[in-house]
Amino acid sequence: MSAPRSADAGAAVSRRARHAAIFAVILAAQFGLFETALRFWGHSEAAPAFQGLFDGDAAAGYRLKPNARVRFATSEFDTQIHINADGVRDDQPIGAKAPNERRILLLGDSLVLSVQVPFERTFGELLERRLNARGSAYRYRVINAGVQGYGPVEELLFFRSIAARFQPDLVLTTVFVGNDAEEAVRSAPRLLGDARPATSAAAESMTTRLRRIVRRSMVLQLLRLRVVSATERFSGTLAAPEPPLQSYAANPAPRIAEGLEVTRQCLREIDSLARTNGARTAIALMPARFQIDDADYGRLKEAVASAGGELQRDAASQRFAAALAPLSLPQVDLLPTLRQALPGPDLFFQETVHLTPRGHEVVAAALEAFIDEQHLLSPQPAQPRR
Amino acid sequence: MVFNSLHFLWFFLVVYALYRVLPHRGQNWLLLIASYYFYAAWDWRFLGLLIASTAVDYSCGRLLERTSDRRRRKWLLGLSLGFNLTLLAFFKYFNFFADNLHAVFGALGWQLDFVTLRVLLPVGISFYTFVTMSYVIDVYRREIPATRDPVDFAVFVAYFPHLVAGPILRASRLLPQIHFPRTITPEQMRDGAWLVAWGLFQKIFVADNLAPIANAVFEPGTHQAGINVLLGVYAFAFQIYGDFAGYSNIARGVSKLMGIELLENFRFPYFVRSPQAFWRHWHISLSTWLRDYFYIPLGGNRGGAWRTNRNLLITMILGGLWHGAAWTFVLWGVFHGVLLIAYRRLEHTAIAQRWLLGPSVSAHVLGWLLMFHATCLGWLIFRARSAEQLGTMMRSVVAGFAPASVSLNGLLIPLVMYTAPLIVVHACEAYFDDVLVVRKLPIGVRYSVYAATFYLTMLFGNFGGSDFIYFQF
Repeated sequence: MSAPRSADAGAAVSRRARHAAIFAVILAAQFGLFETALRFWGHSEAAPAFQGLFDGDAAAGYRLKPNARVRFATSEFDTQIHINADGVRDDQPIGAKAPNERRILLLGDSLVLSVQVPFERTFGELLERRLNARGSAYRYRVINAGVQGYGPVEELLFFRSIAARFQPDLVLTTVFVGNDAEEAVRSAPRLLGDARPATSAAAESMTTRLRRIVRRSMVLQLLRLRVVSATERFSGTLAAPEPPLQSYAANPAPRIAEGLEVTRQCLREIDSLARTNGARTAIALMPARFQIDDADYGRLKEAVASAGGELQRDAASQRFAAALAPLSLPQVDLLPTLRQALPGPDLFFQETVHLTPRGHEVVAAALEAFIDEQHLLSPQPAQPRR
Repeated sequence: MVFNSLHFLWFFLVVYALYRVLPHRGQNWLLLIASYYFYAAWDWRFLGLLIASTAVDYSCGRLLERTSDRRRRKWLLGLSLGFNLTLLAFFKYFNFFADNLHAVFGALGWQLDFVTLRVLLPVGISFYTFVTMSYVIDVYRREIPATRDPVDFAVFVAYFPHLVAGPILRASRLLPQIHFPRTITPEQMRDGAWLVAWGLFQKIFVADNLAPIANAVFEPGTHQAGINVLLGVYAFAFQIYGDFAGYSNIARGVSKLMGIELLENFRFPYFVRSPQAFWRHWHISLSTWLRDYFYIPLGGNRGGAWRTNRNLLITMILGGLWHGAAWTFVLWGVFHGVLLIAYRRLEHTAIAQRWLLGPSVSAHVLGWLLMFHATCLGWLIFRARSAEQLGTMMRSVVAGFAPASVSLNGLLIPLVMYTAPLIVVHACEAYFDDVLVVRKLPIGVRYSVYAATFYLTMLFGNFGGSDFIYFQF
């Protein structure tokens, strides 16, 4: 009796294994089909074309891929993006610095990189043209070293390992007040470099690898969003959920103060490195869209209130201004200028939180005025090296 | 707590884990506690109403069984029906009747100061009052014995899978399954899991994605070309189907996982060719309830054409009114009543037999198209916020169709995208006359449907959707 019974059990196991294998093959095949369909019809940063912009980097985790050429199109814009041989968004290589050349290096995140607008309409390029149109003895070069997803930590690491070689006269760090404090906290372990515990480095390398895999697949990106949303909702059922936009919260989480401190340290380090190379450092505070757009603000205020929080519209700008003031670096808050540009055509895109061409024009004008006002490109008085 | 929420997922996982290890009596107690928690999660204040309804109908059932005195039996039946109908009348229809009476007296020149109570509608009240009424009527008719166990009866009334949006259960079917120990077969587990997955797909992918499309077209004050109104009505037809059939499927699936079989509530209702068939395929538990406890006692089709037509019309008006206290629901009931009466007169004519009801493919297609559009006209009446809006939208379809004005990206493409997978499965079910046909397909096809259901729901589902539409009825 036992032999046939075990034969039946064996057959059942093998049938289940066969069914599982068939299901796995079908899942994989449909994964391919949905991936293809989404790549063909979907417009997203998960699209492989867009992901082709990035390459791994030992220090910052990733950077823009030298010589990458990508077309990025959504319902709101259609842009050609060229990355030069030095790994920054530019049509031309940086090259050797001419004797009469003055260079401004723009550090920042996606708001600086600006894949939503053609290169010639980015505020960096517009600023360069404005400066060169004055007919001065100098030729000005503005280098757009913004990278999607970077925070103050990555900006420092990128500057230290790559961008310092560009010989800037002015390093203009654009701090996005909306999320830079949070990103600084998240990336702070990177500052330890080789001193990081091996487990932490390995875990981060695994996470980075996983992220890279997920970033390359539109299906996985969408599934990740579902998982994140479910996890957030689940944690919301267990404990009071944390209201979003903590940098603007009336009572922010302790990590915001920590993030402001990390940001201050990073900017101090950038300034120190810049001075070593004879350059000055300045700070531009970039506001979030809802700080300019009333409808957006109303919507977010309600969302934060429904999550039990209180949204203070300008709190993040004020917190960054106060946190960075001890550095005694020239600082401009772009918020008042952008607000003054209202009413008029949109300053930010609707589907993304990035600047429109008009937004770029306003920012370029504001930066030019800031540079003049602070004499940031005039010869630097001799200062003791730190 | 709705089925498509994480709250329900955790609730069910905990209940199910306990359910599988408890003995039969323990399972029943667990179901009762879980069901009351499920209901209280919506609003605990109305739990008393549910318990009161249970107590009254349990007692009436027991007393009915003990007595053979006809007058006393009628009195007990009247007590139970009166209690349930009073609950319904107060919570669901009080303001409707007060407002209308006020309007009628106002039109006659008498200004009466009626009290209008802004009462909350307890969720599921239309479902559980109908469930308990059917029980007492069946006991009165001696079709079933009264149940002696109050816990069994309370589980029957409050059983969480059907509590707030049906199906409207019959005691003859559910009580024995509660009373006797249950076994859960692997087949039930697999069928149950598929029904839950398919129900979630119908709700999250179909209904919740079509809702904004339909809402935009039905937004008061908007004037659209007739083609767009028609597409908006199609969207609503599939939204309400996906929403309600999705709920029913999840309820059936969850119940199957616990070894309890619920009534089928939908059988591919948009693939039928007559109004009679539609009501045998749409909200089956309500239409059979109305047939057994209202239409047949009224006289049914006995007593000639005039009486049959009258009975049909009254039954359908009641069916409309069951959905809510508004004249558009009454009008929707009248429309379906008239449709049924017209069908009874025309079904035997040569034209209908040949072109609409015949065996040919063209008759199938024509008959289906005609019935689908008649159903959609019904949904237009059902969904319209006012008679004025109804008139405007119908005028757009008839006199301002303007096919060139079709909204491709806003209406047509999303409508096709969100309904095509449902229609394919629907057609397959209709062809094989089996709502569980997917479970019987060859393994490769079956697994392809499972995988596609998973991907479509996860990638394109609207996870921020609203409550189920039928919660409000």
